[in-house]
Amino acid sequence: MTFSSSYLLSLVTFVYLGAAALYLIHWVFRVQKVGLLATLATYAGFAIQTSGIALRWIESHRMGYGHAPLSNLYESLVFFSWVTVLVYLFIEWKIRRREIGAFAAPFATFSMAYASFGTEDKIQPLIPALQSNWLIAHVVTCFLGYASFAIACGLGIMYLLKKDDSRGGQGILGGLPEKKLLDELVHQTIIFGFLWLSIGIITGAVWANEAWGTYWSWDPKETWSLITWFVYATALHARFVRGWAGRKIAFLSIIGFVSVIFTYFGVNFLLSGLHSYGSQ
Amino acid sequence: MKPSSSKNTNPVWAFFSSVRLAVFLLITLAVTSIAGTIIPQGQPLDFYKDQFSHTFFQIIRVLQLNDMYHAWWYLGLLGLFSLNLIVCTVKRLPFTLRLLRKDNLSLTSHRLRKMPFRHEWKTRGKVDASAIKPLLEAGKTRLPESQVDGGRLFLAEKGKWSHWGLYILHSSILVIFAGALTGSFAGFKGNIMLLEGESTDHIVDASRSKQIPLGFSIRCDKFSVSFYDTGAPREFKSDLAVLEGGNEVLKKSIVVNDPLEYKGISFYQSSYQAVPQVTVRFHRKDGTREDIVLSAFQRISWPAARLTLGLMQYLPSFNGVPAARIWLADSEGKTRALWLLKGNEKIYTQDDEQFSISLIGASQSYMTGLQVKKDPGVWIVWLGCTLLIFGFGIVFWVPHQTKWLWIGEKDGNTIVILAGQTNKNKIHFEKEFHKTEQAIESVLGVK
Repeated sequence: MTFSSSYLLSLVTFVYLGAAALYLIHWVFRVQKVGLLATLATYAGFAIQTSGIALRWIESHRMGYGHAPLSNLYESLVFFSWVTVLVYLFIEWKIRRREIGAFAAPFATFSMAYASFGTEDKIQPLIPALQSNWLIAHVVTCFLGYASFAIACGLGIMYLLKKDDSRGGQGILGGLPEKKLLDELVHQTIIFGFLWLSIGIITGAVWANEAWGTYWSWDPKETWSLITWFVYATALHARFVRGWAGRKIAFLSIIGFVSVIFTYFGVNFLLSGLHSYGSQ
Repeated sequence: MKPSSSKNTNPVWAFFSSVRLAVFLLITLAVTSIAGTIIPQGQPLDFYKDQFSHTFFQIIRVLQLNDMYHAWWYLGLLGLFSLNLIVCTVKRLPFTLRLLRKDNLSLTSHRLRKMPFRHEWKTRGKVDASAIKPLLEAGKTRLPESQVDGGRLFLAEKGKWSHWGLYILHSSILVIFAGALTGSFAGFKGNIMLLEGESTDHIVDASRSKQIPLGFSIRCDKFSVSFYDTGAPREFKSDLAVLEGGNEVLKKSIVVNDPLEYKGISFYQSSYQAVPQVTVRFHRKDGTREDIVLSAFQRISWPAARLTLGLMQYLPSFNGVPAARIWLADSEGKTRALWLLKGNEKIYTQDDEQFSISLIGASQSYMTGLQVKKDPGVWIVWLGCTLLIFGFGIVFWVPHQTKWLWIGEKDGNTIVILAGQTNKNKIHFEKEFHKTEQAIESVLGVK
């Protein structure tokens, strides 16, 4: 099969890499047409990726396993990249600024590259613990949270790189959106991510209660998701009540994402627990 | 944002009501929680003694890091967190109530001119209030109204109730804690292992290692495991029956993710164990014989020969031959153990009877491992989770929007003021406000 899902999905890696490069050129050299090209490339990559994921689902049915492609590390990385692009494209459409793409597309590219070159892409059957309708709800909600936090981190980095707005739009960094807008976007994406992380943790608890009889067992993955939740809860409270904004929140968006990364990978590779199938 | 309470200077109250404490606790919980993901949890103390240095072991013991999420200091942090949450909420309540009671119909035209969103028109002609009033809020013709500054003031207010969102969100955390507490005090958790055919009417509690009666019996009729062609497990299944006074009242096949529930107690498929089973043949001197199936963890009575039997060990291949070690006890309780090799007979004498015993076959049966739990607090936890999501949605996405319309006269001119404010999503409100502005303008016919 030429158009197997693995083929399509490894193709996506290069499309996103191209898009990331175009976004970078657009930002550094401020060429509007290149920006448009970057957006088109991202849409194209997204379309190929969507069909790749759908095809993988169909292939699993053909093999007699029949499950949503959300069951191992390869599939979760592909999905993470897909959701990240989805969230990014939404923000781009909403605020009509493309410079953010230079900080968002790399996340999608890294994720796809890791999936394509660093993990086993064979379709595996679902082990009994994963045979549940909660699988889709749990993974989709968690990854909406993770992807939003990735974007928030990218925005936070942009905020820290950028000098004060008053110094005008000089140099490379001057081309970035205004700090006030970046700050607001970091805040909004954190709120959005926090909601989905909360729902993700809750659906996980409901599922665990159905599979193991405990909605919370302080398994490392669970605990780390809670740690991540605490970090972002801190960010939201510090902003609302103590008036934290700008640099402090930008830093928290990065710390929060480090915690997300650890929840996602660190737990699988360094610690053992109920989510160990995520590392295969 | 912050309600000031300079009158209340009680230092204890001030400490518990500070949001600084909330942020401190959130950070402390986040950082300390890491320990329990690195140090293995729930192992016997000896495990830590072997794994870690003496000093570190002492730290683990004192801080109960072997079960840190139930340690006194961690629960203390959670308790402090709850207290902080309650006190902060109580402290904020008067502020919210004042805000909700505020009379938005007594605002002067001067105040309206200072609102974040406003527009003012001046016209010589008469203005028909009933024509522009419905424009304030999508066709609503009956709006609260008052007389202010010699003019008429109309009010359109939306989402005032959203100020309760914060309370819903914060109390949801307490509801979840309440559910968890209910579960830990009024519920139990444990494991049972059941051989096929075996039943039990009690379980052993996982942590307190005491017996808990179920109030009924549970029996495993059959366990089966199937595999994919890749060798990965496909399904673990136990056929269970619930017995009340010896009568079957419920039968269900459970698999992982699909437990059995009866009278508030749930049974989950959690593990299994293959259990060896051997068939032993007893030949009497008179030529009669008896085949007896023995399986591990089970004692078999054979009344006719006044014997009790059991399987101690089974080796599928001892120098290429299956071997089993069985034990036999006579009526006086005297026991003997025997090794049987397949194809080899052993002579056993009891009282005046003599048997020759041989191992004729081996097979496998299963023992299913079930997780058993009763948690009357679980629905409270789900209630808390639902409140959390709803509360969050209200706090961040339901705005409190207010629009005012004042129509009065000054120096023979009619003055119309449109004013508005919102506490969130200003961009969206601005658009809406602008639409209202244009609609009024087209009726008034002036800029």
